[in-house]
Amino acid sequence: MTRNNRVLALGMLPILSFFVARSAAAETSRIYVTNSAGDTVTVVDPVTNKVVQTISGIEVPHGVNFSHDGKQVYISNESESVLDVVDQKSGAIINKVPLSGHPNNIAVTKDGHNILICIASGPGALDVVDAASMKLVKSIPVKGPLHNVYVTPDGKFAVAGSVAAKRLTVVDLSTMQPAWEVSFDGGVRPMTMDTNPDGSTHRIFVQLSNLHGFAVVDFAKHEETSRVMLPKGNFGKEEWRMGTPSHGIAVAPDGKTLWVNSILANAVFEYSLPDLKLLGHADLPVVERPGKPASGAVPEWITFTPDNKTVYVSNSATRSMSAFNTQTLKSIATIPVGEVPKRINTLVMP
Amino acid sequence: MSKWAGILFVGYLVFAFHALGPRASAQPAPKAPQSTGAASSNDSATLDYEFFKTRVEPIFLKKRPTHARCYVCHEEANHALKLAKLSPGNTNWTEDESKRNFDTVSQLVNPGDPIGSTLLRHPLAPEAGGDAFHSGGRQFESQNDPDWKTFADWVRGQKVK
Repeated sequence: MTRNNRVLALGMLPILSFFVARSAAAETSRIYVTNSAGDTVTVVDPVTNKVVQTISGIEVPHGVNFSHDGKQVYISNESESVLDVVDQKSGAIINKVPLSGHPNNIAVTKDGHNILICIASGPGALDVVDAASMKLVKSIPVKGPLHNVYVTPDGKFAVAGSVAAKRLTVVDLSTMQPAWEVSFDGGVRPMTMDTNPDGSTHRIFVQLSNLHGFAVVDFAKHEETSRVMLPKGNFGKEEWRMGTPSHGIAVAPDGKTLWVNSILANAVFEYSLPDLKLLGHADLPVVERPGKPASGAVPEWITFTPDNKTVYVSNSATRSMSAFNTQTLKSIATIPVGEVPKRINTLVMP
Repeated sequence: MSKWAGILFVGYLVFAFHALGPRASAQPAPKAPQSTGAASSNDSATLDYEFFKTRVEPIFLKKRPTHARCYVCHEEANHALKLAKLSPGNTNWTEDESKRNFDTVSQLVNPGDPIGSTLLRHPLAPEAGGDAFHSGGRQFESQNDPDWKTFADWVRGQKVK
């Protein structure tokens, strides 16, 4: 190899590395956004932060989750009260599973065998769809219509919240029966959990109606032990969101930080785990209005890239999703999506 | 006639023309149910049931590109705008259901004042003078949207031709 060729080859290395890394990362994860006042689900490549796919034909999509092999996308469809099953590659709807009532958010068990769907109508229930047969196999009765559901990090329990009943219900996934409950003074909104060193669930962090912060539930004691209030803000009134001051909460993939949306501060706050110390915040976009003060983004949900480097926030008032560097809290991108983006979730492909 | 009486008379004519409008004044008085709870900013603007049923109500069922239908979120909803649930198999409301919808929706308008009416302000894009946030999104990007204008015509008291 001549000197010139060696220089050229060395010069090409960073470029080649970039494309190899980009290609690998791009093929391993996607961010899915349900556009809750529209009929689409937007799919974003977290490497480029560009929209790479739009799933159409699902009017009022709510929750989004994925099959174990990443080949299917599950989306709860509020307009038809079904679970839509979508082919990940093509974005085509390949199945519609009728549910027992009007659905809200969904979760998938750790083994991928069951899809859990919150039923927000009637007395409420947690529907269970078998992922192999794509049939509704069980409707677990609970006290109150359900809004959001999560599977604990150890995979043993599901935690479902009811806004109307102001209650969270923990379901034992080995028996598919409610195991215990916690009642609150406000409707139960989004939740997330941290873990003990052995991987069992330590605490549930619970956002509540009319609380600008979150409640902390000790998983072993089955009771609320404390509350953390977020820094104050001046948004929310114009947006008619004073009853839901904080919506969207998530533990980062490495388990070291907790991220919490604030509608009133128009920001996402970062807390350390396990000590819950405020580390910083990132401001969200505003809506410029003629002759009136700017209004807030009304943040809805949070998700991350699997490498922990980027946090995403869906902005329901700005038809966008914000991407922030988790280390610097600087904005990386504001990605235009559909009408009133609601739930966002990260697909990590096997 | 004194100078001041002339000014007052001309002012009255201008007010009457704008308040009633040529189409509104040409229509017979409505026989259908009237709004009872909505505050009125213009006594001459009455809400016409037939106009509501034939022109306004279909907008709630209309699928607008990239938007969900109003009906999907407002069907028997826990909102101020709680539309009647369509009877099984029906694609439109019955007369009784339409009258119920008329009463409900009439509570959300200020007759004669479109932009002062929640029905028009809430789903209008904030950049176009609408409320800061509607969980159903920006159903109307501007006040020039034909459906928004239909809402406005109804609020101004327009009747079926």
